[in-house]
Amino acid sequence: MLDWLDAFLISGFFGVLQIIGLGLLVHLQMGLSRVANFGVAGFWGLGLYVFGVLYIKVDWPFGDPFQFLICAFLATVASGLAGLLVAWLIADLDVDGALVGTLGFATVVLILATTQTELTGGATGLGGMRFPYDLGPAKTNEFVWVLITTVLVGAILLYVRWVHRSPYGRLLIAVGTNEPLARSLGKSTTRAKLTLFATTSALMGLLGAMQGVMFRFLNPATITINITLAALAGLILGGITRVWGAVVGVLFTVGLFDIVIQFYAPLPQEWFTQAIPVAREAVFGAALVLVLLFRPKGLLGEMKRPQLMRRIHDFN
Amino acid sequence: MTSTEHGRSEIRIRGAKKSFSGRVVVDVDDLVLGDAAVEGLLGPNGAGKTTLMRMIMHSIPLDEGTVTLHKADGSTITLSELPAHQMMSHGVVKSTQVISDFDQLTILDSMLLAVAGSRHESPLRWSAEKELAAEYEDEIRHYLDYFGFTDPNAIAGSAGEKKLLDIVRCLLLKPEVLLLDEPTAGLPEDVTQNVMSVIRDLGEQGTSVVIVEHDLDVIWQLCDEVTFMAEGRVLMKSDPETIRGDSTVVEKYLGAGHG
Amino acid sequence: MVQGLSNEPSGRVGGVDVETSDLAVSLRSLPNWAIALGAVVALVVFAQFSEFVAESLVIGATENAPLVLAALGFALLYRLTGLLNVAFAETITLGGYFAIWLTSSFSWGFATAVLPAGIMAGALSVVTYLLIFRVARNRNVDGLELIVISFGLALFLRHALQFVFGYNTRFFETPPPNTINVFGVGVPSFRLLAVASVAVLSILIYQFIRRTSYGLQIRALASNDGLAQASGVRPLTVTLLIWFVAGLAGGLAGAFYGVGSAVTPLLGSRQLLLILLVVLVGGIWDLLGVVYVGIATGIALTAMTLLFGSDLYAQLILILFFLAMLKVRGNKLTDGSKV
Repeated sequence: MLDWLDAFLISGFFGVLQIIGLGLLVHLQMGLSRVANFGVAGFWGLGLYVFGVLYIKVDWPFGDPFQFLICAFLATVASGLAGLLVAWLIADLDVDGALVGTLGFATVVLILATTQTELTGGATGLGGMRFPYDLGPAKTNEFVWVLITTVLVGAILLYVRWVHRSPYGRLLIAVGTNEPLARSLGKSTTRAKLTLFATTSALMGLLGAMQGVMFRFLNPATITINITLAALAGLILGGITRVWGAVVGVLFTVGLFDIVIQFYAPLPQEWFTQAIPVAREAVFGAALVLVLLFRPKGLLGEMKRPQLMRRIHDFN
Repeated sequence: MTSTEHGRSEIRIRGAKKSFSGRVVVDVDDLVLGDAAVEGLLGPNGAGKTTLMRMIMHSIPLDEGTVTLHKADGSTITLSELPAHQMMSHGVVKSTQVISDFDQLTILDSMLLAVAGSRHESPLRWSAEKELAAEYEDEIRHYLDYFGFTDPNAIAGSAGEKKLLDIVRCLLLKPEVLLLDEPTAGLPEDVTQNVMSVIRDLGEQGTSVVIVEHDLDVIWQLCDEVTFMAEGRVLMKSDPETIRGDSTVVEKYLGAGHG
Repeated sequence: MVQGLSNEPSGRVGGVDVETSDLAVSLRSLPNWAIALGAVVALVVFAQFSEFVAESLVIGATENAPLVLAALGFALLYRLTGLLNVAFAETITLGGYFAIWLTSSFSWGFATAVLPAGIMAGALSVVTYLLIFRVARNRNVDGLELIVISFGLALFLRHALQFVFGYNTRFFETPPPNTINVFGVGVPSFRLLAVASVAVLSILIYQFIRRTSYGLQIRALASNDGLAQASGVRPLTVTLLIWFVAGLAGGLAGAFYGVGSAVTPLLGSRQLLLILLVVLVGGIWDLLGVVYVGIATGIALTAMTLLFGSDLYAQLILILFFLAMLKVRGNKLTDGSKV
C-alpha cells in the first residue's frame, strides 16, 4: 500500500513538520511579542528527553497508548514549567539579556543530557522508545505517526491563527511594539510574557516528545542550536509576523533540502554524507542574513492588521 | 482616613525628588493634585512637569518621597510602591507627551486593547474577541463618531491622529484621576474643542483631571485651579485668575503682554 | 544595548575616566595596577599553601587566557559599537584555522604564525562589518533583527569554512611545546604566550583609548548618551579599527584555543555562551572589568573541573551562577522614559 513511500522521505516530511511547528511557536514569541528566544532547542530537547527517559526508565503499570500519553503529558508540563522559569528570568531584561538567558537555558539542557549518563545514555544516546500502537510494517507505523503529527501541527497553526484574532494576540503585539505604553494601559507585560512562554514552550516540549517516538532514540547531537536556527531561518524567510510565515518559509528551506534535494536532485551519492548537510546550514545562515537585510518582513510581507480587523469586525 | 471632601480621588506628592545626572529635575515638597475637577500644571520648559507626571505613574522611579492616591471612598494607596502597570487598576491614567502608538495595531485594535481586561486576554479563551467587541461596541462607536475617526480599521497615521487615539485610550479606561500631558498639541481646532468639552464633562462627572498644556487658552478656559512650577519646584497653586495676575508667573513664564 | 557604557555615571571607557565626579575620583585614585599587583601578591602567598589552589590559579589563568582575549575583543565591539555580534565566535574559529594553515603551508612555528593569524582574523572581522553590519546599520536594522543577522552570519561562516578547511578536526603539526614551571605547576610555553597576549592587548587597548586622537574620539562619542546615534557620526576609520582590534583579539584567542587542543568548526561557538556571560556580567563595570571577570571565570572553571572531574559540571555551575547575576543586575529594559 505504501510502496511509493521511501522510508527516508517519511523522515524528511516529519522533520519539515517539526520545524514548522517550532517556527509557528517562535512566531508567537519573536514575531508578535518580540521576545528573543534562542533556546528553542532547549525547550524542544527538554520535552524529548523527559519523554524518552520517563518512557524507557520508568516501569509503568500500564502499556501503550497510556504510557505514551502520560509521558508526553509530563514532557509537555516539564517544558511549560521551564518556559515559565526562563520567562521569569528574562522578562525585564533587554534583548541582549534575553539572548543570553535563552541560550544559557538551552546549553544547560544540552549539558544535562550529556552528563546524566545513567538516565539519558549521555553522548552515546539511549534507545527503546516505540510507537504507541502497532499496525504491522514499520513503514505503516511511521506513516501513521506522520499523520498524527500533521494533525498536531495543524492544530498549532489553527491556534496561532486564533491568537491573531483574539485579545490575547493583540496584547502580545502591544508588548512587542511598545511595552511601556502597554504597561501604562494597565497591562502586566511580565505576566503576558510568562503566559506566552509557558504555553508555547509546553507545545515545543510536546513536539519534542513526538520526535522521540519517531526516531526512538535520544541523542544530544539532535538538540543543538541548529534546530533553533532552522526554525528561525524558515520563519524569517516566510515572514516573522505572519500566521503562515513559518509554513511557507520552512517549506522553502528545510523542505528544499530535506525533501527536494534529498530525494529528487541528481547529485553524487557521496555528497549526501557531509557536503549537503553542511551546505544546508550555510544556506540557512545566508538566508537569515540576506532576508533580514533586503526583505526583513519575509516572503509574505507585513502583518496586515487593517484587513484582518475589517474581516472580523464590522465597525465602520 | 476619611473620604476626600469633594468626592473625587486626589493624588498627594510628598518630598518627591528626582535628579538626572546630578541635576535636580523635580523637588516637590507637598502637592495635592485633584482637589479641583480640572487642574492645570503650568510652567516654563524644564520646570519638571512631565517628569512629575511620569513619577506619579511610576514609569520613572522616585529618588525620594512618596506619591499616594486618596480615593473618593476614603482608601489610600501608595502609588510610588506599585509597578507602573497597576496604576490603571487604581483608576490613575495618563496620556503621553511624546507621540506614542503601537506601530502594527489599528485604531480599533488600540481601543479594544484599552478596554480588554485580563479575563479577555487569556491564551485559551476562545470567544473572547466576540465578547469583548459586543461588550464595548457602543462605547467604541461613540468615541469613533465623536472624534471623527474616518476609518477605525486603519493604523493611525498623522501625529494628530495618534495623539487623539492616545486620549481616547485613556478615556476608555474610565479613569478616576486622568493626567493629560499636552493633550491638544498638534490637534486641529475643532478636535481641540471636542477634547476640551470631553475633559470638562469628565471633571463634572467626578474624575480629577490634571492637564499640562502650553496652549494657555486651554488652561484658562478649562481649569478650576492652576499649579505653577519652575525649576522642579511648585511655586504657587491658586485659581487661574490669581495665577494669571501674579508677577512671578508673568516674569518667569507668561512674559509681558500676556496678562 | 549599550547601557553598560552610556549609563555609567562617570563615563568610564576602557578603564579611563572621561569625566568623573569628585567622589568617584577619590575612590579611583588608587591606580588599577596597584590593585592588580596587590591581588597577585596575595594569590602567590596563598598558592604556597595548597597544591589545589596553585593548580587552579596557574592552570586556570593560563589555560583560559584565550577566554579573556576573546571576551576582551567581544566586549570592545559590544561596548563601543553597541553590537552584540554572535558571529564573533566564528572569528575565533577562523583564527584557529588561519594559524593551522600558516603553520602547515609555510612550516612556520606556532609562535611565528599566531600574530599573522590574528591579523587575518582582524581583517575578516573588518570585512564582515563592511559587507553586513554596515549595510544593516544603514538600513536601520536594529535590536532583535541585528542579533539574528549575526546568528545567520555565524551559522554561514561555521559551515562555509568547512568547504575551505575540511570537515575534520585538525591538529597543529608543531613540535611539543616546552613546559615551564610556575609555582610547581608545569605550563606549556604557548600558554604563557597567550597570557602575555592578554596583557599586551589589554594595555594596548587601554593606552589606545587614553592616549591617541582616535581614542579621544571614541571617548568623546562614548561619553555622550545615545551611542547608537553616535556610532552614526563616528568616522569610518575609527569603526574599522575597533572591528579590526576585536577580530585580532578573537583570532589570537582561536589560535591559542586550537594549539591547546585542536581546531574544529565548533571551536568558537562552544565558547560563545561563556564569552557572552563574561562580557554581560563583567561589562557591568567597564572594559577592564571584563578582563578581571574573565580571569576569575577561568580560575573558577579550572578549580571546579579539578573538584568534580568534569568540565561540563563546572560549566553548568558557572552558567547558572551567571544567569542568576544577570537576573539580579543585568541590562534592564530601558523603561518607561517615554511614557
